[in-house]
Amino acid sequence: MGGAFVVTLREGFEAALILGIVYTYLQKIGAERHYSYATWGGALGVLASVWLGVLVTAFSGPLLDLGPDVIALCVIFVAVIVLTWHGYWMRQHARAVRGEVQSRIDAAQVTHRLWIIGLIAFTGVFREGAETVLFLWGLLTQATSPSGWASALGAFLGLATAAALGWTIFRGGRRISLQRFFAITSILLLLLAAGMLSTGLGRLEAMGVLPQSPTVWDTSFALDDHGFIGGFLGGLIGYRARPSLLEVGGYLVYLIVAGAMLFRSGPAAPRSRPTGGRVPAHSS
Amino acid sequence: MHRRLALLAVGLALGLLSIAAIAAAADTPPEIPLTLDKNQFQPSEVKVKANTPFVLVVTNKGAKAAEFESKDLRVEKVVPAGKTVNVRIRALKPGTYAFFDDFNKQATGRIVAE
Repeated sequence: MGGAFVVTLREGFEAALILGIVYTYLQKIGAERHYSYATWGGALGVLASVWLGVLVTAFSGPLLDLGPDVIALCVIFVAVIVLTWHGYWMRQHARAVRGEVQSRIDAAQVTHRLWIIGLIAFTGVFREGAETVLFLWGLLTQATSPSGWASALGAFLGLATAAALGWTIFRGGRRISLQRFFAITSILLLLLAAGMLSTGLGRLEAMGVLPQSPTVWDTSFALDDHGFIGGFLGGLIGYRARPSLLEVGGYLVYLIVAGAMLFRSGPAAPRSRPTGGRVPAHSS
Repeated sequence: MHRRLALLAVGLALGLLSIAAIAAAADTPPEIPLTLDKNQFQPSEVKVKANTPFVLVVTNKGAKAAEFESKDLRVEKVVPAGKTVNVRIRALKPGTYAFFDDFNKQATGRIVAE
């Protein structure tokens, strides 16, 4: 039961965090009646997860050996792009959205397009979604004995706990000031996106698309990324116990470029985004 | 100067192309079976040749879905119950690479490249 609880809590945490932030964001800019963007994004994320889970279970063969990996990579890089875009936008408009409620929504609709919010919710849910679906499916088919039921119960408790965390973020986020909310979430999303980018680069390296680079450090003796805390930090800020040069480099370059872009208070003129989100075609 | 640069570029491109061609010709990586049964990997230590790509053929004989995962190899692959999934692994430097079932952490193993 405990094992299943930990698995679904960890898989669900990132989605809950992102959904919590996204709903709070909509509430903050006074766009409560546009919650449906986030809801639709999340719901489509669940649907896509189930669809991918069914596909992986029903079929096999070369397409499915590589397919899920390519989809996972696309989701990772799309998430990096939309999170960066969103963080940049929040920063640019932190001052502007202090004004009238209606002007905040207008600003969001005109310059930001609320569907970005939907896309963030979608990638947040879909990223770990298919895995969670397959995990739950496996548990449910086993739920014929008391221990099987206990595992299934643990898994659902894990998801419920993750959802509760998301809800707590939403409740807490409503209390803090808009400025502080923007400041905290832009840093949080920056770290999250940096971690995702480095994960994506690591995957490309493992697939042979990018050249292999040496391991920079090994802290697995102190904080293993297989463990609960290490795995948790891995999801949140991209911690790795044995990162490659490319992963560390990508992480730092992203943090510096996106950080400079975010925290340099300049005019609201649109500037180009970093090129971190490029997905090279897979050629093997 | 420009000509020399152009020649160099062409040479480099040809070199890369031939390397790619050789790699493609030799692109029948050996398949290495790995079975997950009763929450254990069989074998729990997989010996492979270093500097040679290979395909891990992971079969899940258990009744629950498993996720073959390795932080060292940057691989994360769900293997539904009763299914077999091919995991392509690129050439490894000599060393030990740990893997585990992310859905059931008791099941662990390692790849030894030598």
